[in-house]
Amino acid sequence: MTDLPMPQSGAMPAPKSSLMVADARTRRRNAAEKRFRLYGAGAIGIAMIALVVLLSSIISGGAGAFRQTYLSIPVALDAETLDPKGNRNLDEMSKVLTLSYGKVLDRAVEAAVASSGIEIAELAEKDIDNLVSKEASAHLRDRVLADPELVGQTVDVNVLVNGRIDGYFKGRVTMESAAADSNTSPQQLMLADALREQGVLVTRFNWDFITNPDASDQRPEAAGVGVAILGSFYMMLVVLLLAVPIGVAASIYLEEFAPKNRWTDVIEVNISNLAAVPSIVFGILGLAAFINFAGLPQSAPIVGGLVLTLMTLPTIIISTRAALKAVPPSIRDAALGVGASKMQSVFHHVLPLAMPGILTGTIIGLAQALGETAPLLLIGMVAFVREFPAAPPEGLFDPASALPVQVYNWTQRADPAFIERASGAIIVLLIFLFCMNLLAIFLRRRFERRW
Amino acid sequence: MYDINRAESAVTQQDIKISAKDVQVYYGDKHAIKDVNVEILDKTVTAFIGPSGCGKSTFLRCINRMNDTIPIARIEGKIALDGEDIYDRRVDPVQLRAKVGMVFQKPNPFPKSIYDNVAYGPRIHGLSRNKAELDEIVEKSLRGAALWNEVKDRLNEPGTGLSGGQQQRLCIARAVATAPEVLLMDEPCSALDPIATGQVEELIDQLRSEYSVVIVTHSMQQAARVSQKTAFFHLGNLVEYGETDDIFTKPQDSRTEAYISGRIG
Amino acid sequence: MPLSWALLASLLLAVAGYLIGRSRAYATAGSDIRNLHSRPTYHGASVALLTLTPAIIVMIVASLLRMAKTLSPEAAGLVGLFALAAAIAGLGWGITRIGAGYQARNVVERIVLGVLIFCSSIAILTTAGIVLSLIFETGHFFQKYNWLGFFFGTEWTPRFQGNSALGILPLLWGTLYISVIALLVAVPIGMFAAIYMSEYASKRVRGIAKPAIEILAGIPTIVYGLFALITVGPMLRDYFAQPLGLGNSGSSVLTAGLVMGIMLIPFVSSLSDDIINAVPQSMRDGALGLGSTPSETIRQVVLPAALPGVVGAVLLAASRAIGETMIVVLGAGAAARLGLNPFEAMTTITVKIVSQLTGDNDFAAPETLVAFALGLTLFVITLGLNIVALYIVRKYREQYE
Repeated sequence: MTDLPMPQSGAMPAPKSSLMVADARTRRRNAAEKRFRLYGAGAIGIAMIALVVLLSSIISGGAGAFRQTYLSIPVALDAETLDPKGNRNLDEMSKVLTLSYGKVLDRAVEAAVASSGIEIAELAEKDIDNLVSKEASAHLRDRVLADPELVGQTVDVNVLVNGRIDGYFKGRVTMESAAADSNTSPQQLMLADALREQGVLVTRFNWDFITNPDASDQRPEAAGVGVAILGSFYMMLVVLLLAVPIGVAASIYLEEFAPKNRWTDVIEVNISNLAAVPSIVFGILGLAAFINFAGLPQSAPIVGGLVLTLMTLPTIIISTRAALKAVPPSIRDAALGVGASKMQSVFHHVLPLAMPGILTGTIIGLAQALGETAPLLLIGMVAFVREFPAAPPEGLFDPASALPVQVYNWTQRADPAFIERASGAIIVLLIFLFCMNLLAIFLRRRFERRW
Repeated sequence: MYDINRAESAVTQQDIKISAKDVQVYYGDKHAIKDVNVEILDKTVTAFIGPSGCGKSTFLRCINRMNDTIPIARIEGKIALDGEDIYDRRVDPVQLRAKVGMVFQKPNPFPKSIYDNVAYGPRIHGLSRNKAELDEIVEKSLRGAALWNEVKDRLNEPGTGLSGGQQQRLCIARAVATAPEVLLMDEPCSALDPIATGQVEELIDQLRSEYSVVIVTHSMQQAARVSQKTAFFHLGNLVEYGETDDIFTKPQDSRTEAYISGRIG
Repeated sequence: MPLSWALLASLLLAVAGYLIGRSRAYATAGSDIRNLHSRPTYHGASVALLTLTPAIIVMIVASLLRMAKTLSPEAAGLVGLFALAAAIAGLGWGITRIGAGYQARNVVERIVLGVLIFCSSIAILTTAGIVLSLIFETGHFFQKYNWLGFFFGTEWTPRFQGNSALGILPLLWGTLYISVIALLVAVPIGMFAAIYMSEYASKRVRGIAKPAIEILAGIPTIVYGLFALITVGPMLRDYFAQPLGLGNSGSSVLTAGLVMGIMLIPFVSSLSDDIINAVPQSMRDGALGLGSTPSETIRQVVLPAALPGVVGAVLLAASRAIGETMIVVLGAGAAARLGLNPFEAMTTITVKIVSQLTGDNDFAAPETLVAFALGLTLFVITLGLNIVALYIVRKYREQYE
């Protein structure tokens, strides 16, 4: 062993140099280091910018959905039109169509404009009548049918304004675009401006957006997410009642009881693969199995709930198993040591200790399910639903919508006002998700235990 | 090669390679190293001994600023290499570590071929101008680590395929290839069997002719076998530092005596 | 619903069985309950479970038969009665078994274990359901449409009156094109973000960036889809496509690819984070101890060591991109096209599954059934990618354990 590494000229040029002075190579390497760091910081920056742009574009686009313009005018409820027989009989009054209420409303709007003393050149009668939403007459009819004594009186009403006028106040519609639009006109917008100055037109917070059902293509101003929220809520109920017990039971078996054999191996591989199956495939399964084969109704929350249950199951199983695994074996040994059966040690000791982790995983799984869209499109949740579903359990079989599907539905409509509604619905969805995640974080902080 | 000033300073501080003055190390709130003053000589093997948790490895990692990679570690005092403060703001730890190499407790070859493992340092520091020179460095380093004969026919096989002792010698060859001036070894034999340990110890003895070697060990026999100077650490203090023979035969401090006679540690 | 009444009645019987069983156990025990093998509550529970289990089994079997249409509606009306009878029989049998030597706890535990096993098999049932429903309907499709035409057809023009061209190649091309763009965005950004966060970022930066990226991961895909539709699409069209004369469509391959890339950033970054952290610290120390800069350590030691894991992560991300639906539905367009211009609208397999299966479906028409063949293709591709990726990642993890 005499061949020690003797530095020779050429092979090992390691001149003794001061540490205080960086040599050229080190400077180059440090520059490369800085560049690399910069790429990393840039990547983070891009991700953050993407998040900010994403959220701000949705929020700025959707904030308008929470404010709505209303027209408040006195309406003379003409008894001859609305109750031709004059006996205030509800059955007979309900034969009076929405159309007649429209005429009553038209007259009231015309009277209000006339009494305001606003003069606008080339203002057509149509412009005045179209000031209010087509939905307004239906609202008025509902109100009269609920209280027949109103007929013959003059009542103050707040009616929805046409979506174009509403869009004008929100900046979506301009004088130029109105000139080319058959549904509105610059004169109508001028009238709206004047009415607003007089306080007849007011813009205020739009509770109706959260409670109303969907509305048809012509009436974006009346569309709301009420049915969608209820439908999503029903589906979450189904997922909670099915996915959580099944998922927890499956995890307990796999983690605590399953023998190591080929069958459990198959189940394990299966679950991890199922977690990565595209969601739309679950939609196909739902369509083929629950609707075509089992004969369950289309658009029903029960079907959506079942599909989302199957989708969420792997997520819940994976997080529950992690939570069970985190409970140290010494706890199990302690329980077995005092004569508890395996089952008792699991249900009395391991499961309660793993509960916070299981809850956190469950909430995250539910949040995922709440935002899922694609599979619901295939089982008919995209249908136009205006009726609120009944209370569960029967209501689970009634047609309903769901929040994310409602968003998709609105993006497919022609009127750009529906884009505002879609963004608004997303804000509602994000608020729900935010609350669920907050709850999950709270649970994790509150009950986290380190062994 | 040297300028005049450096040549003079080399004469005045002739053999002192590293000098530490009032070094303190804190891990968060824990005061891990207290007031350590030591002068480590060139072309000498210096052993750091002491019970586990006494701070010997921590101090070793200060010498090439490996503690920089631990966010909660904080160092005070002065450590100088050839008279230059290594914690000076202008010092680049990368350049420092090229001069002060390190071998770790567990063999940690890279997931590359044996050749690429050894060539890694020379490549990043640009020590060779061409492939032939690099080949030469690799061969010299592997010979230096007493590994050449065992691996010369399989230089392209992965370094992770070697036995534990071979892996550790590969790591020593890797450190030597960078042409350091000081070689720090953190319990280099703790993961090895007695035969491999013997080979590595023999190697350390040979490395002394070229480098200043600092070795941390928990084995007093090993310290006695390989080192000329020994420093005994206890609870973060440097208790005693001197000729290895003196430390083991006539220790000045009662704690040193207690440790080498097996009463503490 | 007679079935729900039967269920309710069985539940009530089970509660009664629990009370009876428990009191009988107390009575049998006499003065000292240590005479019993199991505690009285287990006797009660065993009676309750023996009541409920047969009734539920009857109901499940009957519903399955009903779905398979082998049970006439008249017979279905009697199911409730059968279930109730089974419950009563179980109750009677359960009560007679109670005695000092009766191992009630073991009976209860065996039934619970059975339920646990059943629940864990649901995952298998789901997979079986997916595979069966896809294969079954795809078989129908290939009876009506030549499979060669499907797999090798370069034209996709479904017509209501029949005689459609249903070639998958333009859809496959769109899918792959968009996925590649998405990966080109997500993989570098996701990996660099993970590297920066685990190796460089100060506590404060990490405290902001990590939750931000997690938020990105928690946003539903419909939100990304809307983002593509109202922001990214028009922006690309107005500032790039039209000035460059490359097209004037808001929905395009690039729109969908970019937005999907953003969606995948957190996915890639969290996988890379796991993988980078699996490389042992001793390896980094080795490189740093030789005087590597941190970036040299990462590029030359950590990443090569992590390569299999990284490959696995990219494959998983690719599988996600291929199966993603809402972003392409809203961002990519509906025109089946084999082209190279990224500013043109193209379409994907998932988009066409949605468009063929929403609305009124005629399950005899190949135009509807083709969706199942598309679904099966998608399932096979993503499953293949996942299996390979999970295998690679698992092997990689074992290496450092």
